[in-house]
Formats: sequence, structure tokens, C-alpha cells
Amino acid sequence: MGNIMSVSFAPECTDAKLQYDDCFNKWYTEKFLKGKSLENECTEFWDTYITCVNSALAKQTVKPMLDKAREDQPFTSEEIRESAGTSKK
Amino acid sequence: MVLFYETTHEYNHDFQTASLAYFNRYPNPYAKHVLSTDTIEQYIDKDGCLRVTRLVVKRGRLPQFIKPFLGSNLDSWIIEKSVTNPKSNTLLTYSANVDHRKFIKVEEYLKYSSSEGSKTLVEGKVKFSSNLIGFKQRIEEWSHRRFSSNINNTREGLKYVMNRLQQAKGWKVENS
Repeated sequence: MGNIMSVSFAPECTDAKLQYDDCFNKWYTEKFLKGKSLENECTEFWDTYITCVNSALAKQTVKPMLDKAREDQPFTSEEIRESAGTSKK
Repeated sequence: MVLFYETTHEYNHDFQTASLAYFNRYPNPYAKHVLSTDTIEQYIDKDGCLRVTRLVVKRGRLPQFIKPFLGSNLDSWIIEKSVTNPKSNTLLTYSANVDHRKFIKVEEYLKYSSSEGSKTLVEGKVKFSSNLIGFKQRIEEWSHRRFSSNINNTREGLKYVMNRLQQAKGWKVENS
């Protein structure tokens, strides 16, 4: 803990976000990066948080543009393979 | 009109610290214009990589000369996507503006990779695209200025967060 975390765009979601982020940080460093877990173990916090965020987003005028931006596919499978050093190049 | 800028920097922090800093880089004193960050999607893909999509709200990040088109809404919504590969210790990141895309689109692609075991190399590019007729020169000037000042703040902000994360862990803190 003792970590400083940013707030949610929706003030009513910030508490749920901080709980999720805190859980995520621990899981990411202690398990995921060490190859000990292939499942996000923060689903309990995630469900509360994402429900809050999704209902707040639904009221935002930016929502249609966000849905469009979410379709961006910035990483090709080739790039991912290459970055993982498994490509023959 | 499309412009590219390239960037490379090596940080004196290992991949674990550097990639955790990516997810926790706001708030920091070098990014006071960042108002909020939210994770809107996360899953582990079939290759065992962590995929995260986030939404960042920043205050007033578009050029002055575009403001008349925008009305009173000056905040920018930014989408960020990332892929972390825990086996190869690499992190690919993408960020782009969500709104105002018909005026200008700024996309940043970065790759974080482990270097010499205890360091992290970050390399990538920023792409500015615009269809605004008659603004070519102003957009070029703005994007160049913006890139130059941003790159420094981004690096300092990341270093700040990396140092803080190491301190929190009680690890040895090195100047980077």
C-alpha cells in the first residue's frame, strides 16, 4: 500500500477503482509477472468497479466516440510475436 | 497529413518496476493535466498476455487554434491499450485521443523491454495525423513543440513513479 493512485472520471466509482487497482498491483507483481497466475484474481473488485464505470460512461456524450476508439487494433499479432522475441527476423 | 516522431530511452529500473510504473504513472508531478484514469477492459489472451484498455481524461491538450471548433468542452479523453508478455518481459502500449479525431489524431506506440536484466528500454513512435485543410504548418509546429515538451515530462513522470514504487518496496533506490 502507501501507493498514490489516480481517481476515476466518475467520483462515485473512485472507491471501487482504488480497491481494484490495489488488488491488481499486487497480483501483477507477485503473481502474473512471476508466471504464477494466468487469471486475474481481482474479479470480485473488478465486477463492482466496471459496473460502476459502465453505468457512468453510458451518461457521457463521449460514449459513441469511445466505442469507436475501442475498435482500434494497434498491435498486430506479428508485432506481439516479434516483441516477444520469438520471431525469426 | 501525417507526422512521425521517434523516441528511445533506457531506465535504470527493472521490467517489473517499469511496467508497474506504466500502470500507475498517474498522478505524478509532471502530469498535472491528468484528471483521472480508469480501466475499462482487462483479460488474459490465449498466449498468456495481459490485455488492458484504459481511459484517461486530460485537461486541454489540443492546440489553441482548434478550440473554436470545440465549444466549451476542452477536456480530452484518451484511450490506452497495452499487452504485457510475462514470459519475454515486454510491454507494448498504445494511446490515442478518443474525441476530436476529425480534427487531429495523436497516436503513441511504445515498447518496454527488459535490458541487461536490471534496466528497461522504452522505444517507440508518436504519430500525428490531421485532415484539417489550411492548418498544415500550424499543426506541424504544434506537434513538434508538443512532442518535445511531452517527451521530457513523460520520462520524468515515469522515473518519479518508478522511484516511488521501489521505495515503497524498500528496495535500493538508484538515480536514473
